Amino acid sequence: MKLQELTKPWAAFNYGFLDESAKRELRRRILKAIAIPGCQVPYASREVPMARGWGTGGLQVTLTLLKPASVVKVIDQGADDSVNASSIRKFFGRVGGVVETEDTGKATIVQSRHRIPEEKLREDQVLVLQVPNPEPLRPVQPDISIARDMHGDADYGQLWLVLYEQLVKSGRIMQGAEYPSLVNGRYVITPSPIPRWDVPKLNQADHLTILSAGREKRLYAVPPYTKVEPLVFDDVPYRVEDHHDKTCYRSNVTGYFVNELPQEDGSSAYELSDSHFGIKHIRKAEGEPVEIGDTWYKNGRMTDDRA
Amino acid sequence: MAYVATRGGEHAIEQAERLFRSDLGTITRDRVETVRDNFPYLVDRLMGEASLYEPDLAALALAQAGGDLYEAVLLLRAYRTTQPRIAIAEPVTQPDLFTVRRVSAAFKDIPGGQILGPTLDYSHRLLQVHVLMGEDYTPEPVIPAAEPAPATQPSLTDWQKAQGLIADHPVETVSPEKIPDLTREPLLFPAPRAHKLQSLARADTGGTLALGYSTMRGYGDVHPTVNELRLGEAPVRLRHPRGTVFSAGRVRVSQAEIISKSKSLELGFSATFGWNEVKVIAAAALDLASTRPDAHPASTEEFVLYHTEPVESSGFCIHFKLPHYVTFQSALDAIRDAKANGNAATAATGAKKLPTKEQEVAL
Repeated sequence: MKLQELTKPWAAFNYGFLDESAKRELRRRILKAIAIPGCQVPYASREVPMARGWGTGGLQVTLTLLKPASVVKVIDQGADDSVNASSIRKFFGRVGGVVETEDTGKATIVQSRHRIPEEKLREDQVLVLQVPNPEPLRPVQPDISIARDMHGDADYGQLWLVLYEQLVKSGRIMQGAEYPSLVNGRYVITPSPIPRWDVPKLNQADHLTILSAGREKRLYAVPPYTKVEPLVFDDVPYRVEDHHDKTCYRSNVTGYFVNELPQEDGSSAYELSDSHFGIKHIRKAEGEPVEIGDTWYKNGRMTDDRA
Repeated sequence: MAYVATRGGEHAIEQAERLFRSDLGTITRDRVETVRDNFPYLVDRLMGEASLYEPDLAALALAQAGGDLYEAVLLLRAYRTTQPRIAIAEPVTQPDLFTVRRVSAAFKDIPGGQILGPTLDYSHRLLQVHVLMGEDYTPEPVIPAAEPAPATQPSLTDWQKAQGLIADHPVETVSPEKIPDLTREPLLFPAPRAHKLQSLARADTGGTLALGYSTMRGYGDVHPTVNELRLGEAPVRLRHPRGTVFSAGRVRVSQAEIISKSKSLELGFSATFGWNEVKVIAAAALDLASTRPDAHPASTEEFVLYHTEPVESSGFCIHFKLPHYVTFQSALDAIRDAKANGNAATAATGAKKLPTKEQEVAL
């Protein structure tokens, strides 16, 4: 046996950028996170060639999941062509040799910042959400050590109190994105800052969701077919954003989450937030053979209520 | 097909990067060497924050980032993290250091002597504007001391311990591969001593100074005295598989001990790669302050270690440039609704509205 047979030729970087020991650590943490739904699992969080706060947590998870046969979609605020999404997608192509896609249905891994696509994800797809702040208790307890104890005790009273105060002061719950949600009846998570519109898509979903915060060095997961309940009072139902009647001015589609575009005349125009979903509708309207997947929302209402 | 054409993002980011790089021009080996040779203290600071001792790579990172320190730290850290750890060096004790500068503010003279070494501490900070008019600024020649200082120096703390002034904590023996490594494990609290010192060693100089200064100035119970400050070169000694210990070279290091003057004498400690006196003094002060039962954030381990991390803090700061319109939209919806309900409620109950500013003025 020659030494050469035992070694690999030198390369500037490993496949998928991260070295194997980093990937091994992440795989173990991901497995733990899946085993304890919603529980924040600390990990070393290596530096990656992107600034912290720019999706480095999601990036590390996706890099660990990558294989040459992977098909990756990256979205930022719902858009595939957003500058940072382009940059991250290009990086996966560069270090993983993967196929890049914008089509939700064709992706094996969807990495996203702040949105879950409108089309339903399947069992064979993984959703990786970039998380800026993994700690739902941060607004009431900035000290991580104490917050960890509170999670241990399932001591979430102060979160209810925050919602109650909003209700009393403003007449309604004011929580926008990152709506605190109870996973599997045990851990409260902040579902990354996805809008309230997207939170029900995590409940009893067919797909696995991994949420990862690189800067804060924590990851957690919502496994398939797991209960995810936004914190609500019995007599005050959960309310998603009032977007059920908004029509996209480009695709003419109604009933999905939209971006509001202020107009010079003082009015607002709306466009679909899920950009490729909009593109598909436009192409279909133009007579192209486009396959649009099943959606969670129909006619502006969540129809897939599995709870 | 207007929607489809919105692939401008990719073109835009590519051109934006090109613009930045074309402003900097070609990076050559000469240029990197010029940076390395001309800015040793900048290179040192960077190597400390990156926790990677390699002057050539640090100079390359500086050249590539056009001198943006946070970018340069990130470049080096992202490179460092992919490299395997092939060996763990033998521990370095104070008497092992090839010391070029060593001062103590606690005593007039100390065993081994005060050694000023290279410093600007007592210089007059005058900008040599004549250089810009074509007159070279050539340093005066150094007159060597009659008797050269010894290359290594004893530890002052050893003397203090022998005197019973400072508690002699038992030394924990940990096998090299069992030493907690911050770059391979998450930081949890209460942090192991090793993680705390590693975190301070690679902390942001400016951030460490800001928090350290706040404890020195009064937000904390510590009245620091520099027990010993050292600049030197540490031998990197490795153990050969056959058992022989050999030197693989030297690295420039700084270390500071800060001593408190309260009821009992306590030490705070910090060490880092490169010569960076401000950082180790501030970090040692923070180390000392964080042992106190003091509620002030700058005296709290978690607060200090999280907020002095240069890659994390700078990254998060600049991430606010990214679009946040989805989260904004999500909040907007609730605000509008609450406002509409509030107005409706006011109209319904006929509740008295607060006077407007104009009405107030009229009153």
